[in-house]
Amino acid sequence: MALRDQLRTIVVDDMSTSRGLITQALEGFGLQQIETAVDGQSALHKIATWPVHLVISDMNMPGMNGLQLLHSLRTTPQTKGVGFLLITGKADREIIEYGKKLGMNNFVKKPFQPDQLRVAIEAIVGRL
Amino acid sequence: MAEIKASFFIECDELLESLQDGLQLMDDGEADSETVNVVFRAVHSIKGGAGAFGLDDLVKFAHRFETAMDDVRSDKLEATHDVLKLFFQCGDILADLVREARDDSPHDPSSTAQVLNEIDALLGSSAEEEAEEEVEFQPMTLSLDLPGIDADPTPASEPSYTIVFEPENELYNLGNEPLFLLRALRELGDMIVTCETVSLPDLDQLSVETGTMVWTIQLTTSEGEGAIKEVFDFVDGICRLEITENTPPTAYLLPDIDLAPELPPLPMPPAAENLSLEAPSAAAENTFLPPQLPEAQPSPSGPPPATYSKPKQAAPAPVNKPAPKTSGGATTPRATVRVDLHRIDRLVNLVGEIVINQAMLTQSVEEAGLPPNSTVRTGLEEFLQLTRDIQESVMMIRAQPVKSLFQRMSRIVRESSADIGKDVRLKTEGENTEVDKTVIERLADPLTHMIRNAVDHGLESNAEREASGKSATGNVHLTAMHRSGRVVIEVSDDGAGINREKVHQIAVEKGLVPPDLQLTDTEIDNLLFLPGFSTAKEVSNLSGRGVGMDVVRSAIQALGGRISITSERGKGTTFSISLPLTLAVLDGMIISVAKETLVVPLNSILETLTLTPSDLLEFGPETHVVNIRNTFVPLLDLGAELGYREPLSDYSGTVVLLIMQEDGSRAAVVVDAIEDQRQVVIKGLQDSYGRVPGIAAATILGDGKIALILDPVDLITQSSGRTRPSSNLEKIAG
Repeated sequence: MALRDQLRTIVVDDMSTSRGLITQALEGFGLQQIETAVDGQSALHKIATWPVHLVISDMNMPGMNGLQLLHSLRTTPQTKGVGFLLITGKADREIIEYGKKLGMNNFVKKPFQPDQLRVAIEAIVGRL
Repeated sequence: MAEIKASFFIECDELLESLQDGLQLMDDGEADSETVNVVFRAVHSIKGGAGAFGLDDLVKFAHRFETAMDDVRSDKLEATHDVLKLFFQCGDILADLVREARDDSPHDPSSTAQVLNEIDALLGSSAEEEAEEEVEFQPMTLSLDLPGIDADPTPASEPSYTIVFEPENELYNLGNEPLFLLRALRELGDMIVTCETVSLPDLDQLSVETGTMVWTIQLTTSEGEGAIKEVFDFVDGICRLEITENTPPTAYLLPDIDLAPELPPLPMPPAAENLSLEAPSAAAENTFLPPQLPEAQPSPSGPPPATYSKPKQAAPAPVNKPAPKTSGGATTPRATVRVDLHRIDRLVNLVGEIVINQAMLTQSVEEAGLPPNSTVRTGLEEFLQLTRDIQESVMMIRAQPVKSLFQRMSRIVRESSADIGKDVRLKTEGENTEVDKTVIERLADPLTHMIRNAVDHGLESNAEREASGKSATGNVHLTAMHRSGRVVIEVSDDGAGINREKVHQIAVEKGLVPPDLQLTDTEIDNLLFLPGFSTAKEVSNLSGRGVGMDVVRSAIQALGGRISITSERGKGTTFSISLPLTLAVLDGMIISVAKETLVVPLNSILETLTLTPSDLLEFGPETHVVNIRNTFVPLLDLGAELGYREPLSDYSGTVVLLIMQEDGSRAAVVVDAIEDQRQVVIKGLQDSYGRVPGIAAATILGDGKIALILDPVDLITQSSGRTRPSSNLEKIAG
């Protein structure tokens, strides 16, 4: 069993196009266990019943933004250890520094190519 | 990929719609910070998606727009009317760029240059200057020997709680302020507050004395549940309070990663230098596998079912149950399915066939002479009802709110008013009125023309308006509503109204009416619909090409609709379009005239009556009126009007249908007999015969024969103009 067969990932993005693109890329890497959520709140609900190793989340979402989701994950004992990859259109100092403080594992700037996403994921969890 | 791209464009349309809505709210001064966020997110999301598909023109423009919106969001830029005017323009250009990208048509940079310059001026910087600084970031490796990670940034975690707080009315009545309670709660630790506004009613139903909001608070605190309860001490009993500690019943366990021995051990963090987001390393490029899944993936976001199989070493069963078999789509607040329109059309056609089939079946049952309470008959009754239900449901699928159409019109108003230097404000009402999709599509052109007309001809110039004591800004109202089984769309302006003397004079000059003919106001107004009529002194950019209203009218008529004008000098003009709800099926009254079977739309019939000699009055040769409860209504002999037979010599004892006309006046239409009342399938005649005056369409009856569906209002209008039935009609009827 390779890592890609077991790594559980949830993709959080309010835009179905982005969810589709990321999911497709992940499937391209051979990941077998992918879930999606349309916003932070539903991601938290889903993770509560379907624990994940890695959360790949968009920054700009209605309700909870990506970093608020991260904060929520980190302050809940059961999810504080999950990997968090932020997808952001804007990678300015403020966002990245704040992400760092909250314990963001890595980020990818939009737009990205699938291999950039792969590199970013592998930097967190190791070779897929 | 193509599938995702197609869905991106659909999503773009939705985003552009919320962008327009948001900007309108901002312009109306009714926006809150969330509105600004929604607008920002819409632009941001379009940019994000466009970036993924390499739509560079779109990305570049969206990026500048986004920067400007971001400044508004962070209060660096005030959203004044002028700024919003520019934003509206940006929204229009964004829509154009999306369309260009979808159609793969080339982009003309000059079309965006001016607006981009204006944004530069607004922001005081240009796109080139807006370079993003590189931020150093060291990816944090995750140890998958869960739980716990080596790079855990948070200190030993404190217990956290989920608090649901729903104030009752009493809480507000006693002068309590939820904000203070939330502030007190914040003293206890870190918290995230989500306010649920789903149960907030629409503004017009909002009662200021009723609280409808619920707060969900995620609080991390070591103070314990007692401290939380203490905060709410004063409001105990006048609110709903739920406090739960965020510990799942059993431990949250991730499935351990179990690797086969031949694979390298985990984790193997790559060196940080390898993580260059801008230029992926060659190694990464080599290892990237193109999507291996077949193109025809059922759902782009949905992983294959196998994805959900339990991992080998699963956590305890109660916690680690397989995820529900849905992907993101199913949890969207608005659960929707996108369906190819052709499939719906097929469904509509099939329903039409069912309606015909059912009519034939009914006829057979009639002819078989079965007793009224036989099971076949009662079964048929149910079948009838179900058919109707199916038909209505299918029509509902095709129905769409006119909102998208109205939004396009607001752009037309913006552009056309800017072109001729008038200040115009468009107000829309009834945007959620639903109309058949085809009707909406085919309404776009005529409505555009009418809106342009209203801006160009209807409204006076700013100076003229002020001189006549009106506000300088002209108003155009666009309204949609349902009225007695039809959709009515009105375009009205508060301009000068129709100059009837001038209209009459022009019509005479152009030889459209004889100079000595006395015309009523309505008749003069209707001259505007004559082909080749144009009152504009100069042909302007917008309208006045003389192909205006007659083209509009035939487009509306082609949809089975009618158009009428009302106008008051100095006050304004209203164009009213009345359209059938659907183009597929209608409730009809089956009548017979001179052995011909015809269908009259039920919604146009006010009542039916049998004439007595005392009801009738002769009003001149071949002209009769009917006395209906002391009002006189003109009589129309349908058989003679359609050329089926000579006018009857005596109308007493005949059956008449009382028809309501557009302007509220009535007419009595003589028929030989009323046969039945039922749903009929509309089969258009336009394609084969063009427009036939007085005839809306045709249908197939239960016995398989074809019957014409009348447009009684048009027929009466024709008749009062004394036009003879066209040869076309005779051709069809024969």
